[in-house]
Amino acid sequence: MGTEAALVLQVAKASRSYGGRPALRQVNLRIAEGEIYALVGRNGAGKSTLAKAAIGALALDAGEVRVLGRDPARDPAARRAIGVAPQDIALYGHLTVAENLDAFATLAGVRQDRGDAVREAMAETACAERANQRVDQLSGGWRRRANLAAAIVHRPRLLVLDEPTEGLDAETRVILRRLVDRLRARRTAILLISHDGEDVAALADAVGVLHAGRMVAEGSPDALAKRAFGARQELVVRLGVRSAPAEPILTGQGLTAHGAAALDDGLTWAGLVEDAPARALAIDKALRAAGVGVRELTVRPAGIDALIAWASKDAAA
Amino acid sequence: MIFVMLRVMALGLWRDRAGLVLAFVLPPVVFIVFASVFGAGASGKLDVRAGVVDRTASAQSHRLTRALDQVLGGRLTLYPDRPALLDAVENGRVDAGVLLAGDLGVDPAPVTVLIHPGRRAAGQVLTAQVNAVAAQALPDVMMQREVMRLGPLLALSGEQRGRLGSRPPPAAATPFVTQEVLGGGDPIVVYYAGAVSILFLMFSCMQGAMSLIDDRQTGMRLRLGLSIGGVAPLLGGRMLWLVALGVAQALVLFGVATAVYHIPLLANVGPWLITAVCAAAAAAGIALLLAAACRTREQAQTISTFVILILAAVGGSMAPRFLMPAALQTLGWLTPHAWVIEAYQAVLWRRVVNERVLEAWLVLGGFGAVGFLGALAIERRRKL
Repeated sequence: MGTEAALVLQVAKASRSYGGRPALRQVNLRIAEGEIYALVGRNGAGKSTLAKAAIGALALDAGEVRVLGRDPARDPAARRAIGVAPQDIALYGHLTVAENLDAFATLAGVRQDRGDAVREAMAETACAERANQRVDQLSGGWRRRANLAAAIVHRPRLLVLDEPTEGLDAETRVILRRLVDRLRARRTAILLISHDGEDVAALADAVGVLHAGRMVAEGSPDALAKRAFGARQELVVRLGVRSAPAEPILTGQGLTAHGAAALDDGLTWAGLVEDAPARALAIDKALRAAGVGVRELTVRPAGIDALIAWASKDAAA
Repeated sequence: MIFVMLRVMALGLWRDRAGLVLAFVLPPVVFIVFASVFGAGASGKLDVRAGVVDRTASAQSHRLTRALDQVLGGRLTLYPDRPALLDAVENGRVDAGVLLAGDLGVDPAPVTVLIHPGRRAAGQVLTAQVNAVAAQALPDVMMQREVMRLGPLLALSGEQRGRLGSRPPPAAATPFVTQEVLGGGDPIVVYYAGAVSILFLMFSCMQGAMSLIDDRQTGMRLRLGLSIGGVAPLLGGRMLWLVALGVAQALVLFGVATAVYHIPLLANVGPWLITAVCAAAAAAGIALLLAAACRTREQAQTISTFVILILAAVGGSMAPRFLMPAALQTLGWLTPHAWVIEAYQAVLWRRVVNERVLEAWLVLGGFGAVGFLGALAIERRRKL
């Protein structure tokens, strides 16, 4: 991100505790216009708390939040600049899509051309064809689109997307990514909270990893991945059947049985390894020679889970 | 297996504090209220508030009023004349009145009990109490009346008749106390229209106010929190809606009462409307406060059921207030129900807008304002 871009969101030394348990500890966060910042972390890391603090919906114990230089908890102009698409569908089920958008546009202070704003938001999220349908009669995917439309109907400068692709079909996922690209082109700053590694890799300009209320790693996805994993890539092997001869072959290549112990069926093996393509070929050859069938063999960049695990381990150390 | 389920269910109740209150505290509380009301009513031990006018101002009448005041536990008020006593009975300052208008020893029916048509039970109880007090506190007077009544049969001498007084003996069938039921139709219809109206108004407002909790539990509160006006207009809009809903509900109920029981709604529509708005504001304020204070819908449902039933029982929505013990009647003024009933009775039955009505409007408006401001403070402080 160029240094010329104006700062839209600035969170400085934000701290917040719930009943003595710290949820945020001295967290800093800066998002410039046109920047897409992905906030990742395990459950309970403090992502939602930080997002709420960033929009002024949560009183901090210490630190400050500025949106376009103003405090969103006190300044209506700052709140007017924020759009939120919560993880839950935050729409009135008994209203139609258009009625919902009209209501939220009014609450956000859109006075003139409200009809145009509503139509534009529906067009952006491809939900215009359901404009006059009640939200509680829509399927999950259409509700997600309408939820997103309500977040952008007042043309915010800062958009907070909380798990926007969770439970979405492929078509809606594409619509969302196109929308994010358009918003980026319009210089909208986006705070993306996601567990989806594909979303983060495809959309984010910057990634911040939260762990136990601290920002433990921050940077562009490529730079972070390089710092965390160097040349290592993720190698995943799925066997057809569980096989004793396969185990030394796979462990010898640096892979471990994947998944939680209780669910580990001995079929999936994975690991972050150097020179992953060559190792994949070697594994394939050795397993065939041992008469073990391979169902899947994948080489891919390290995912968001690996990044979170790396950053969290690093922080704990 | 059976014991596992038993344990699961028992732990569920044990850890649900609101459920525990609803299951084990509410029933005895409601029982106590009803037992106080109907137990006292059935045994004739009503805490009747009475007024008295003593036109004779004799030694005998003083003895009677003193004794009556003692029996009523100091709830006997002296009024200068009949119009003042009538006004007190009609406006509910006393439940019934006693008019001492003749010589207690010789006049036919020297005592009249003035009975409000909506509080006949209180009149009956007071009549019985006056008779009992007269028998106990004025035995000489009652004996004199009895001897005079039986005089023709007793063949009294001229000297004996002279000692009984010069007046002619009362007719044999004339009682010591007579009853006079005041006019103006049956106010019990207006009483229950008001009582039922505020009871269901509380339920409706609570249902409406619980959208606050729904919004909080979904991301709606987060989105609404970004509105340019902040929390106050969002809560204000809800308050206005609940008031409008309450007025509409009252209109339907009183419309039915007008159609079926001919209560004079149209002739008093202005004061009625103000009362309906104030009642709805009180219910809306309390409902919003409860909804703001509760974390979950389940918690709100349990607590509101408790609060609504207790307010209704104490405030007179379930049983007439004059049947209640004096302490409970006093406690009733802490509920909006008592004020709503009082205001509707005044404007629709007595057809007056007096100080009492203005006071009721003020108190109900106060309930609404305090509830709204309390809810606002909680919502602002809660953030998310």
